Formats: sequence, C-alpha cells, structure tokens
Amino acid sequence: MHTFAYARPATLAEAVALLEAHGPAARLLAGGTDLVIRLRDGTARPAVVIDVKQIAELRPAIHEDDGRLVISAGTVMSDVASDERVRRSFPALAEAAAVVGSVQIRNRATLVGNVCNASPAADTAPSLLVYDATVVAEGPGGTRRIPVDGFFVRSGVTTLARGELVTAIELPLPARKMGAVHMRRTRRRGHDLASVTLCCGVDDAAVTRLAYGSVGPRPVLEIDESGVLADPAASDEAKAPIFERMFADASPSPRSMRASPEYRLAMLRVLGARALRTAIDRLAQG
Amino acid sequence: MSEMIQTVPIELTVNGRRRALTVAVNHTLLDVLRDDLELTGTKECCLVGECGACTVSLDGRIVDSCLVLAVEADQAQVTTVEGLAIDGHLSTLQQAFLDKGAVQCGFCIPGQLVAAHALLAENPHPTVPEIQEGLAGNLCRCACYRQITEAVLATAEGTVR
Amino acid sequence: MRTDRIGGSPNRVGGIGRVTGSQQYVADIRLQDTLEVKLVTLDCARARIISIDTSAAEEVPGVRLVMTAADLPQPVPRFGPQFSDRPIIAVGETKYHGEPVAAVAAETKDAAEEAARLVKVEYEELPAIFSVAAALDPAAVLVQDPALRPNDPLAGTNVLREHRFGWADVEATRADLVVENAYTFPIVTHFAIEPHAFMAAPDGDGIAVWSSIQHPNWLQKILSQILGLPLSKVRVYAPDPGGGFGGKQHTKLEPLVAFMALRTGRPVRLVLTLDETFQAVRRTSAEVRVRTGFMSDGTLAFQDVEANYLIGAYADIADRVVSKGSYPAAGPYRVPAVRIVSRSVLSHTTPATAFRGFGNPQVNWAVESNMDEGARALAIDRLEIRLRNLARKGEAFIPVDTPADGDWEQTVRRAAELIGWGTPLPPGRGRGLALGIKSGPTTGLSYATVRLLADGSVIVYAGTSDMGQGARTVFAQIAATELGAPLDWITVVMGDTAVVPYDQQTSASRSTVLMGNAILRACQSTQAQLRTMAARLHGIDEADIVVEGGVVRLPDRELPIIDVLEPGLGRLGGELVGNGEMRKDAEPDHPLSGSAAFFEFNCTAIEAEVDEDTGDVVLVRHVTVSDVGKALNPLQVTMQDEGAAIQGLGHTLMEHYIFDERGRIRNLGAIDYRIPTSMDLPLEMQSAIVENADGPGPYGSKGMSEGALLCVAPAVAAAVRDATGVAIRDLPLTPERVWRALRDRSTP
Repeated sequence: MHTFAYARPATLAEAVALLEAHGPAARLLAGGTDLVIRLRDGTARPAVVIDVKQIAELRPAIHEDDGRLVISAGTVMSDVASDERVRRSFPALAEAAAVVGSVQIRNRATLVGNVCNASPAADTAPSLLVYDATVVAEGPGGTRRIPVDGFFVRSGVTTLARGELVTAIELPLPARKMGAVHMRRTRRRGHDLASVTLCCGVDDAAVTRLAYGSVGPRPVLEIDESGVLADPAASDEAKAPIFERMFADASPSPRSMRASPEYRLAMLRVLGARALRTAIDRLAQG
Repeated sequence: MSEMIQTVPIELTVNGRRRALTVAVNHTLLDVLRDDLELTGTKECCLVGECGACTVSLDGRIVDSCLVLAVEADQAQVTTVEGLAIDGHLSTLQQAFLDKGAVQCGFCIPGQLVAAHALLAENPHPTVPEIQEGLAGNLCRCACYRQITEAVLATAEGTVR
Repeated sequence: MRTDRIGGSPNRVGGIGRVTGSQQYVADIRLQDTLEVKLVTLDCARARIISIDTSAAEEVPGVRLVMTAADLPQPVPRFGPQFSDRPIIAVGETKYHGEPVAAVAAETKDAAEEAARLVKVEYEELPAIFSVAAALDPAAVLVQDPALRPNDPLAGTNVLREHRFGWADVEATRADLVVENAYTFPIVTHFAIEPHAFMAAPDGDGIAVWSSIQHPNWLQKILSQILGLPLSKVRVYAPDPGGGFGGKQHTKLEPLVAFMALRTGRPVRLVLTLDETFQAVRRTSAEVRVRTGFMSDGTLAFQDVEANYLIGAYADIADRVVSKGSYPAAGPYRVPAVRIVSRSVLSHTTPATAFRGFGNPQVNWAVESNMDEGARALAIDRLEIRLRNLARKGEAFIPVDTPADGDWEQTVRRAAELIGWGTPLPPGRGRGLALGIKSGPTTGLSYATVRLLADGSVIVYAGTSDMGQGARTVFAQIAATELGAPLDWITVVMGDTAVVPYDQQTSASRSTVLMGNAILRACQSTQAQLRTMAARLHGIDEADIVVEGGVVRLPDRELPIIDVLEPGLGRLGGELVGNGEMRKDAEPDHPLSGSAAFFEFNCTAIEAEVDEDTGDVVLVRHVTVSDVGKALNPLQVTMQDEGAAIQGLGHTLMEHYIFDERGRIRNLGAIDYRIPTSMDLPLEMQSAIVENADGPGPYGSKGMSEGALLCVAPAVAAAVRDATGVAIRDLPLTPERVWRALRDRSTP
C-alpha cells in the first residue's frame, strides 16, 4: 500500500478545511471497506487520508428531528439494519443495509460512505431514492441539502463540491402509509455484489416509486402516478407499458463480469414485477 | 526516491492486555497483529474483506482486520482467537468445534471462532439460518459449514462437555 | 469400543492448535533476519521480455536482491513432476498471466512491494492462446518450444500428449440408440484459504526450506537436483497446509526462493496473495464429446469419449491428470466396447495441476449426463439403467486393471433410498442421480517408523501431509489400536524430511491405505519385538504368544504391554523401534503404469427446484453415499464427504475464470470469483457410507474424500433437467446460464 498523510480531525471545520485545501488529493475514511481496498490495489493514491470518526457531529447516531429521521455519517450498516425506527418507517432501507456484504463489512461500512462512493450497484441507493432521502453536506460555503435523486452522477462521482463532506442522510418520516421492499440479483445466496438492485414502494395514494441500480451509470428513480401499477386488480398487460417506460433508460455495462446486459434487463423486469407485488401486499398489511 | 512511511503512536488493548506501539499509517490492523504483536492466529487471505480469515473483534464487533488501518484501532479493544481461551482452558465454543468435527485444515477457524463468539454474545439462541447468515462472511474451502453450525448450536444449547 | 481406536471419532489430533490459533502455518513461522519477497509480474497473458531494468528497485532502502533469469545458473534450470519444462523464473518470455519475471527480496514487505513496482520491464505483448479451439488451430502459435520435446511427433503442435485407452471396436459395435453430446467443464481454482507460502534459509552447508507443499519428499528431490546438493543437505519442513486439494502438491516457487536464500545468505520468505494463487494453480478444464451406444433394454453397447483438457503453459502434473482421469471415463459399468481419446492441450494460462478428483469430474460430468439422456430416450428409469449396467464386485470392468472392488449397487441403492427415488415430487421440483469412480493410487511408497517408548507412550513418524483430511488423527488411532496407548499418549511427527522417513506423496486419497499400512506394519514389527521380549521374560515359545490391541497374550494369561515392556527393557531403559513399508510397484505394461490400489465409488442424488424466471437453482436435498471399506474415523469421513460435496457445488453452480480478449484473468480474487459460503448449502444434506471391510487399507479401509465431489455436477444438472425439461451441457450452472437455456427452449 502506498503511504499517505493521515489526518484525524476533531471537528467538522477542520475536516472541511483539509478537504478544501487538498481537493481530489484527499480521501475521506469512515468505514474503510471501500477505501482500504483501493489504497491497497492502487486505484486510490491520495496524498491525505482524512479519518472522520473522531468528529463529534459525525459520531454514529440515528435520531428524529423535525419530521425527519437523521442518520449521521458515522452510522454503520449493522445499526441502520437493526434500528427500530428504520425498520418501522423505512423497512426497505433496513433490508438493503442488511445485505451489504457480510456482518464484518456491515459493522464498518457506513450508509453515508456507501452513498458517497456512488457505485451504481450501491444497495442502499434505490431505497433512499424511494424514500426521498436528502444528503446533508457541510462545506466551506456552509450547509447544503441535496436530494439523493440528483446526487449521483456516475460511478465514484457525486455532486459534492470541493471541500464538502456529507454529515448525514435525512429521511422524511412518511406522511402516508407505504409498502416497500428491496430486492436484488446476485450470483449466489451468500453475500455478493448485486447485478440488479431495486426498491419498489407503493403508497396509499396509489403512487408507485421504483428505483433501481446496477443497470446504468447511476441509480434511477421512476414514479408512476397513474395508479395502475399500484392497483392489485390491474392486469399484467396494463402494467407492462408502464414498466417499460420506467426501464427504458436502463443501460447496463457490456463489460460487467457479474451479468450480461441482456440478463440484467430481463431481471430488472422480473424483480420489478415481484417487488411491486410485495410492496402492494405490504401496504395492504399496513 | 522512496516514499516516506508515516508512523503514528497508538495504544490499544489486545486480548485484555494494553499494548503501546508505533505503526505505519499504511499498515492494517491485520499487519500489526501478525507482524508487530506476533499474534499470528489471525490469518491473511483475500485482503478484500470477503473471506473473513482475518476476523477480529474490534470494540465488541467483528470486523475484517485487513480493511482496518492500524491507526484506526487506536484506543480500541481488540479480541483475537488467542484471546478466546480462558485461563488456558478452551472456551465451550472452541471445544464444540473440536467435538463436532468443525475443524479440517484449520486456516479459517480463528476467524470462524471470533465471528461465532460474537454471534452468540449477541444472540445466545440462534437458529440455523441465523448462524449461517452470521458466519456467511467466513469462507471455508474445506466446506465444514454444517459441522461449524452444529458446533455453534451445541454451544448455544449447552450440550458441549 | 474405546473411542481412541479405529472406528471411533476422537477429537482431531492437532485440533487444539487450530482452535487456539497457536498452530503455525508456513506464513506464521518467524526466523530471524528474514527477507521478504515480492514477485514482479506483467499485466498480460503472454509477452516477449525485451529488457528488465532493476536499477531503481535496487535503490529502495532495504532491498537486498532483485533476481531475474540473468542471475540464475545458465541455462536457467527447469523442473516439473512430469516434464522439466518450467523455468525457475520466466526466461525471455512470460507464458501466462502472472508468471514471475523478477523477484525482490527486502528487509520489509513495504520495501519489497515498493521495489517490485519500480522494476521496469520492457516487453512486447504477444497473442495468447487460452482456449482449446485456439490451441488446436493448425496455424496456432506453439505454447512450448518444440526443442523441449525432441523425438516427439506432437512437438509441432499444442497437444502435449494424446492418450488412447479402450478395448474392442467401437466403430464396429451396433447400438439401438446413440446419444452424442459435447460438454464443457470450466477453469476453476483451488482457493485454499491459506495462500501458498515458501521460505528458505541456508542451513550449514545445505539449505532448509519451508513450504505449504503436500509432497515434501518430492520437493526435496527436485531441490536437490536443481541446487546440486545431496538429499541429506536439503531439509524440507512441511507444516500442515491450510487446505491443499491438490494445488499444493508440486514444486512451484520453492526453487526461486531457495536460490534467493543462497544468494543473500539469509532466510527469505514469499507468501503469495490470494490473487497470485489464482495465477499459480488451477484445475484442468475440458471439452468432452461423448457418444454412448445403448441397446433398447438400456444396456450399454459402447462408450466413445473424446476429451480435450486445456492445461497451462507448463505441464506440472496436468498430463497425468488427463491420462489418469480419462482412463476410467467409461464409468463403473459393463461396457463391451470403449474408445477413449484424451489430450493435454497446452495454452498460455495458469499451469493446471492436480485438484480433488484428478481429471475424473470433467469426464464424469459428460458421461453421466449422457446416461441420463439415454435413459430418457429409452423411457427407462434413470436409476434402473445404471443398476442394469453397473459392474458387480469382482468384475474386471476395465480389462487389465483392478476389478470392481466394492458392492457398488449397495451404495447406489442407499443413495436412491435416501433421496426417495421414485416417490412423488411436489410440482416444480426435479431429481437427478449420478455415480462415478475415481482410481486410487497406481503406484506408491510410504515408510513409517513407530517408537514405543519406555512408559508405553508412542511416537509415530509419517511423512503424509495433513492438510485437513485428518491423517494425523487416523495414524494415531492405528497406533492406539495396535499398541494400546491412549490417543493423548501418542505423538505423530510429520513434515520434516530430516526426521521423518520417506513418503512419496499425499494425493489420490492414498494415505489411509499406503501410510496407514506402513504404520500398521511398523506396529506389527514392534509387536514382534514384544513377543520376543515376552518369550525371553517368561520362558515361553514365541509362537505361543500373541500381541494385539495393547495386550500381550500368553498361554495362561494376558498382560498389558507395559508389563512386558518395562521388565523387558530393564534398568538401562530404552525403547522399541518398528519400521514399516507399503509399496505399490509400477506395472510397466499397464497404460497408467499401474492398476488402481482401490476405487473411490460414490453415488450422489439431488432434488432441486428451479426459479424459471431468474434461473436460480435451489438444491432442496443433496444425498451423497460413498463406498469406503471401513471408516477408521467416522466423523472425519463425514467431514470429508460433505466437504467434497459442497466444494463440488462450486464448479457446478458458480465458479469459473473469466478471461478478457487478451487472455488475462479478469476475476482475480475473492470479489468476483465466487465459492460456496455458509448460505449456499443445500437446504438439506445427507451423507452416508457403505462399509464392507473390502479395502486394501488397514482393517479393510479404502481411501476416500474425492468421490463425493465427482458426481455433483451431473446429478445437479439431471435434477435441473428433470424439473425444467432443459439439458444444460456447460458448467457452471449460473442463474444466467440456466435462465438463458430456459429461454432458448421456448424459442422455436
């Protein structure tokens, strides 16, 4: 592993200052489950690694604030998956967090880190999109709130500006009832990276939100307000064109080792239909 | 011109014993445990957090030590396989692994044991699927999975001698 | 029966070290002043080396040596278990993705890594061959220099060897139905959790070498030849490997490390990364075409098998894998006419080596799948057709070889019973069944020494490698049974060529039979000495004394061994030393140079469910039954069989190398090369054994541990076929492959 300068700022201001000073030559270290691999294989060669785990504001915490559930940057996947409030109000997010890697990975990997890495296959991204999450960023210009839908640019790239780091993810506590589920395709039942990752949510206003990843440069959110998808009595023929519209821009990479584009596109449709049925059932069960 | 390796002094507690040492920032907790502290029970294999051979307990949670920089373990409590026996006596779980035939080549076993100990600490009466999922991050090529599960169950049920 | 003795399942000897982390694998052994080694490799499958500039690397503080081919004796020595084709380090050309071009030895791993990055290799990438078709193309580049194979008519091709086995005339044999199909078996790697590790240090006027090797004596011989040292000056330490599965059988990088140690005068250590192990070892892959001729009553008329195995750039033991693996390809059946043509095809890929099953899984996959299809075409039950053709015990089903050595029908019926063959299945489920044999060793030699110490405790010296199969425990059990010592009074010494007598190798599931018998004979020698002792002490004729089970039986009474040993040794003390040998000599006229010491026979039965929308195959039930002769340690036998069965799910469902268009391995490492985890097990698994005490090993045992892997793929594919109607002939049965096959079935 190449060496680097290691910084462990105690305050948010210090971290922002370091980020602003070093720009792309700095990388943030939270859980490390992605960064340490890149440091070792040389795909990341930062001059400075900024360990954010001592910053008080970023310490692991999930709390409610003004109609939102706020998940701090230091919160690990294990805690997201097991938190009662997440499981109650955002069950698809809990499901997604529970399948990221193994227990060992989930005990280190942070939700915020997963989002900032902006992998198109990030398992938490689809549910964050469905739940209309917001990324809270702190930078030289102060605090900025960025909707998750619009945060991802492509693999490894977000809309964060120089000097900005994400301090939390906020999820608006649901105003309406929603049934939602996270599903994905992997190569084995044991832990794996997803070749399709998807979340579908149906609310009691018959709006269907479907977000999917790993079939294009960034996770995508599609919304159906016609009420047709959400209608358990509607036929598959009626739903098909809506699904097709939702999946029209899916463009899986032909270079992927995990699955061919053809398979991914087919599984998108299979999972989409299955996730919709489950979401409708969950809504009905309350 | 070679790179200057940065070093940082850290203090951590390993298997109940306080250790103070200076570590290179680009060394992992796995490197430090094996090379600096000579605790070679924790093993190195995939180095990408997939196989779990390097599993240790860090502040009460199992992690892949190959993905933790040593500096991040400053002020932490670490437990490795060497810390599982109590006063030189095998823990119930270690004995169960032997009794149930859960040990073949043994290379994955330190990681399996640390992970299983943590599983039982959090969930004293796990079901078979819970054990399989809890240990899914520990690969065994000899494929002792069924016997490992039995050993964990026997420990949970209190049927180990 | 006391559990320490054979037939019991005492805790693994050496287990405590494994559960406490105190056991030392090679990478855990620390010598003073050791230099760390890092390999320099090129990011391409094949290249001509133009120049190597080590100057920048040598300037890194802490670097003591940067070795290339130029630093070795010229011509650079070559070695290999079958052909001396592999150079110690790449010479002029790299022939596979990952072949080392240079090696750095430095005071620290960091320095070695940094220096390795700074070695500048100027090279020209060359087109690489990484498929059978490309290799067999008449216009193909030659992987191996023809000069290495003088007088070989195949030297101008990429076929290293062609083997022809069989009897009668397949072409002239009539059949009512001919089933002909082509099958493929993927490239997979061993993925032992312990990556290969090597260390060497000057040792007086000789050298000491530590390796994760399965065959220490073989390594010793190769090193002695390459280094020009007598065997007595080459000491090989072979700590228990952390998994071998065949990938650690043969010499790999030990010669390089040895030269580096002798050059620097210091201990030198190389531990491979997991990614490097994928580049170092793999299983032979194969394309197998099978024509099976059936009569309308299901009896086999002929088996016509053509198997092209893709081996790597250097032969290692792969050609032996091909010949030995394909030789019994016709199966454990009565077949009037057989033709087997198998080829070792060279390629610019990782050298293929031994891997559990040794060439048999590849052909068994094809032949058993064909049996399934034949049964369906003839409307005969798939279990029934096999029973109809199965060789009976004592039948010479392969002329000029060991006859069928087990009641194989018993094994098959047990498997059928356990899976509930013939009982109704819920909708959406299918059942499959497959059987197979794998030949045990055809030649072999094991020596053992047993020392019965003055207090009745025992030391056993046995050169077998215990890589998890539990050899150490079984050997201790044999000594416990024969000499009456409790298991914790028995020490088994292995893995040191300076102390332990010769053992040819640990492979082919041979150790229970070969080394087991050697130990048994060593114990019997000790027993004979005890008889002499007792005769002298009690003034009785030796012929009237029996020593067995830890007891000395005199005509009028029985004494525990210690009651003869103590007075027998007298005031000077001492010990009794017994030596034993088990040898299986070569048979020069035999196609494989020797008939099988025994066969491993297995029947695997699977019940599966297929999610037709996604292609997921869920194994609902997995039954595996093996014919083992006698289970010396039943728990260890179960562990081996279930472990082999689950390992077999790897190549069946998920494992394969993915190459890019230039022949580089794309999925190096654990993220994109998937092996079964605890969550990938069949929902229900059952293993059983058949014991008829009809093996050549101690107490009627046979070797085992490979059989249960052998039949997994064809049994699973048969279950998938049964559930969906689709026959798939390529492995692995990934969800995508199954999905595609299902989709293509419905497309007219």
